[in-house]
Amino acid sequence: MAIRVNPRFIDDLERFGAEDVKMCYQCGDCSTVCPHADDVYKFPRKSMRLLQMGLARKIETTLEPWLCYYCGQCSTQCPREADPGETMMSLRRWLISRYDFTGIARQFFKSRITEVLAIFLIALLTGIFLLYYGFSGGSIHIYDGEGAFLPSPFIHKFDLTVGSILAIFLVINAIRMWYLVMIKGTKFAVPWWLYLKELYQLPWHFFTQKRYSECEKKREHPFFMPWFIHLGLMLGYVTMLVLVMVFVEQLQSGPAIQWSVHIFGYLASIGLIAGTIYFIRNRVKKNYVQYKKSHGTDWVFVILLFLIVLTGITQHVFHRTGLYEWANITYVIHLICVVPWLLRMPFSKWAHLIYRPLAMYLAAIRRDALALQEKLIYSYPINIK
Amino acid sequence: MEARKNCRIGVYICMCGTNIAKIVDVEAVARFVSGLPNVVLARTYKYMCSNPGQEMITQDIKENQLSRVVVAACSPNMHERTFRSALRSAGLNQYLLEMANIREQCSWVHKDTKEATEKAMALVYAAICRVELHDALESMSVDMCPNTLVIGGGIAGMTAALELADAGNSVHLVEKNNHLGGNLARVDLTAPYLYSARDLLTERITRIMDHKKVHVYLESKVTELTGYIGNFKATIRLINGKPSEENKPVEVEIGNVVVSTGYKEFDASRIIHYGYGKLPNVITSFELEKMIRAGRIETKEGKIPRYVAIIHCVGSRSQEFHTYCSRVCCMTALKYASEIKSANPACYISDIYIDMHAFGKGHEDFYRQSSEAKTLFLMYEKDDRPVIHKASPKDDCEMLIEVNEKLSRELIEIPADLVVLMVGMEAREDSHEIARIVNISQDKDGWFIESHPKLEPVATTTDGIFIAGTCVAPKDIPDTVAQARAAAARILARIAKGKIEVDAVYSEVNEEKCSGCRFCNQLCPYSAIEFNEETRHSYIISALCKGCGVCVAACPSSAIKGRHFTDQQILAQVDGLFYEIEDVKQKTLG
Repeated sequence: MAIRVNPRFIDDLERFGAEDVKMCYQCGDCSTVCPHADDVYKFPRKSMRLLQMGLARKIETTLEPWLCYYCGQCSTQCPREADPGETMMSLRRWLISRYDFTGIARQFFKSRITEVLAIFLIALLTGIFLLYYGFSGGSIHIYDGEGAFLPSPFIHKFDLTVGSILAIFLVINAIRMWYLVMIKGTKFAVPWWLYLKELYQLPWHFFTQKRYSECEKKREHPFFMPWFIHLGLMLGYVTMLVLVMVFVEQLQSGPAIQWSVHIFGYLASIGLIAGTIYFIRNRVKKNYVQYKKSHGTDWVFVILLFLIVLTGITQHVFHRTGLYEWANITYVIHLICVVPWLLRMPFSKWAHLIYRPLAMYLAAIRRDALALQEKLIYSYPINIK
Repeated sequence: MEARKNCRIGVYICMCGTNIAKIVDVEAVARFVSGLPNVVLARTYKYMCSNPGQEMITQDIKENQLSRVVVAACSPNMHERTFRSALRSAGLNQYLLEMANIREQCSWVHKDTKEATEKAMALVYAAICRVELHDALESMSVDMCPNTLVIGGGIAGMTAALELADAGNSVHLVEKNNHLGGNLARVDLTAPYLYSARDLLTERITRIMDHKKVHVYLESKVTELTGYIGNFKATIRLINGKPSEENKPVEVEIGNVVVSTGYKEFDASRIIHYGYGKLPNVITSFELEKMIRAGRIETKEGKIPRYVAIIHCVGSRSQEFHTYCSRVCCMTALKYASEIKSANPACYISDIYIDMHAFGKGHEDFYRQSSEAKTLFLMYEKDDRPVIHKASPKDDCEMLIEVNEKLSRELIEIPADLVVLMVGMEAREDSHEIARIVNISQDKDGWFIESHPKLEPVATTTDGIFIAGTCVAPKDIPDTVAQARAAAARILARIAKGKIEVDAVYSEVNEEKCSGCRFCNQLCPYSAIEFNEETRHSYIISALCKGCGVCVAACPSSAIKGRHFTDQQILAQVDGLFYEIEDVKQKTLG
C-alpha cells in the first residue's frame, strides 16, 4: 500500500528547527562522513528524504535521529547547505513531541510563549503553595528541625510527588516509543530473548555515552571536550536527582556538613555548573557547527538549569553561614525554578536522558533480529515467495 | 601490369616518432623499395608531416625531378592534405601522391617486428604500383549564388536569415504556419533567467518582416530542390492554395539551404499510465504554457490547484518511446515550479523526475532556487513510470500519483490537483519529406544527420545544405541560435569566396558505352546522376559527386569511371599487395 506524501510536513518541521532540509538533493555525502551511519541505520540521508516527503508515520517509527550525536560533520560537508545535523536535531525534537501523549511537548516546541507562560504558571503555583505552607506552620527564621519554614520531611514528600509525576510521564512516553519502534515500525519477528541479551546496553550507554565520544573523532574540539563536559553534566544531574529524591533530609539537616552525602552534592554541583557555563558559552559564541542554531527550548533549558544551580549554591551557603531567613528565601526561589524545570522535562529535549539509551538498546535488538531474519532467509531460500 | 617506364618515384617512410619505428623496421622497408624500378629515392624521417619533413619532399621533387610521390605514414584521413600541399608547393600535381598507411593498419595493430615489416613492405609496394598509374587531375570551381533558402521560421531560421540578410544577401524564408516564431512562440518565459520569449521573438519578427533582403513565404513549403551547391533551384508553393494566376509556385535560385524545421512535442496519450486525454487535469507542458500566457493557472473545474505535480521525461529516455534526452524539459519544469509558485505561493509542487539534468549555464543555480522554494523532488526509476489515479471524494486532492520513489525505496502516492507532463521533443512527422527534397539523411529517431557530430555540427553530407536547431536533435535556445549563426557563417564564408572548389575525384560516364539503363540514377546516394532524355545517356553532376564509386561498381556496361579510382589503379594496388619476393626481384632485374 502506498504511503501518502505530505508536502506540508516540511513546513511543520520548520517550527522544530529544520529550516534547510528542502535544500537536500540526496547526494549522500552526509552519510559518508557520519561516524555512526551503517548498512542497517542509514542516516542522515534517509531521514532527510523521509522528512522531505513528509512520511511522518514512517519517521515516528525510526530510531535514526537518536543514533546521531550531532558532531556536525554532515552539515560542514553538505554541498547544498541543507544542514543535516540540525535536521536530525529537529527530528529528535519532533520525535519527543510524538512520544509525548499529552501534546504538551508539541506546543512547547512550536510556541515559545506557551512554554514560558506554562513555566511561569507552575513557578507561581509552586511559590504560592510553598509560602502558604511555610507561613501556616513554621517560621521564616527557622531553617531546620522544629518549626522550620520548609521542614525536610515535607520537602522529601514534595520531591517524591514531583518525581513521581515526572516518572509517570517518562515511563508512558518510553512505552509509546517502544510501541512505535518495535511494534509499528518493525516488520520482522523479534525474539523475546534479544531483549535480555541486549539489556546491558541501557546502563552502558546511560553512564558512558560511549557513542557520543565516537563523534569526537570527527570533531575539531580538543580532548573530547563536549562529550566529557556533557558526561559531567549528566552525571552531576543524575547524582543530584538521587540526592534530592532519597537523601534530602540528610542534606537539609545542619549545621554540621554530612560529608558522606554532601561530597556527592559538591561534585555534582561542579559538574552542573561547569557543564552549564560551557554550553551557554558555546551557544552564545556559536563556535562550533552544532551550536550555530539554538532552538528556543535549548535556551530555556540551560538558563533555567543555571538559575537552579546558582540558587542551590547560594541557599547552601546561607544555610551553612547561619543566615536562615535568607536560606529559606533562596530555598523557595530554588524550588520555584526546580519544579517547572523538572515538570517540563518529559516535554522537552531533556527527555533524551531516557530516549537515547533506550534507542541504543532497541537499535541493538532490531539489528540482531534483522541479522537472524537474514540468516533464516539465507538458510531456507525456497520458502521465500 | 604495364608500369609507366618514364616515371620517377620518391618514397618517404615516416617513423612517426616511435609509433611506426617501434614495430616496423623502416630502414629495411627503405632498402627494399630503393631497389625497385622507377623508384629514384627512398627516405626515412622521424616526422614526415613536420615542416622539415614536407620541405624535404618539396626539395627532392625539385632536385630529382620526381614525378610521383609515395608517403608511407599514417592514415590519409590524417595527412593526405598535408602531403598534397607539399606536392603543390613543388609544382607537382597533387593527385600524383599515394599514401600507404603503415601506422593504423600496421604498426599499431601488430606485435611481431618481422611480420609487421613485411606487411609494411607490401603496403608500400602496393602504393608504388598504384601511383605509377596516377593521372594529373585538375579541380574545378563553380560559381556560388549568393541567395539562400531558409526552411522553417522559428528562432533558428529567423536568426540564420537575419544574419545572412544583414550581410547584404537575399534570403527566402519559408514557413508553413501563418506566422513566424515556431515553437518558441508558444512559450511564455524562458529558463533559467525567466526572460520573456515574446520579447526574444518580437524584435526578430519585426526586423524580418521589414527587411528588404528577406522574402518571407508564409503558409508555404518547398516542394522541389534541384541543382547542386552554389546553383540550386527551389520551388516554393502555398500549402492549401488552389492553383490560380496569383498562386503560382515560385521558383528561386539559391546557392545554399538552411534547414531549420524544428521539432514537435511528444503525444502524451501514447503513455497510458498518465491517463492523458482521460483525466481532465492531466495536461502537457504546452497546455500549461497556454494557461500561463492567459494569466491563470487553474484546473478544468476552474479551481486554483493546491497541489501541482510535474512529471519529467514524458516520451524521453525510455526504450518504448524515445531513448534520447530532450534536454530542455528539466529546466522548463523548474521554470513551471517557479511560475506556479509565484502565481500561488500556497501551492505545493512535486517534481517527479528520473535525473535532474542541469548542465547549462545558470542551470544549477536555478535548480537550487527551486529547492529553496520548497519544490519537492521525487525520483522514479526509468522503466517504472508513475501511475495517475483519480482520488476518492474524501481525499483533499483531485488525483493521486503512485510511484516507487527511488531515493527512499518507498512506494508513495503524491496528491495532485493538476499534473503537468513534460512532453519531450520528437522529429516532425514531415521531416522525412524535407530530408527527401533536400537530400539529407535522418537517424533512427528522424533527426537530420550532421556530416560530423563533433567537427561539422551544422553541415550535412550534401554540400550546400545546412541544418540548424531542433531539427538536428533536441536543444535549448542558446544552442539553437548558435547553430543558426554557425550555419549562416559557413554560408557567408562561401558567398564571400564567390566560387566553390569541387574535388577532382568524381566519376564520369563514358557516353559511348552507356546503354541508358538508368541503374546508376537510383543508386547514387548523393543524387548526382541525372538522365539526359535527348541523348538517352546518364550524366554525372561532378559538383555533387563524392566519388564514392557505387555507380562504377554497379554499371553493367562498365561505362562509368571513377577518377583517381580507376579499375587499373585499384587492381595494380591489389596486385602489389600480394607480391612475391621473387617476382619483385625479377621485376627489379628486368
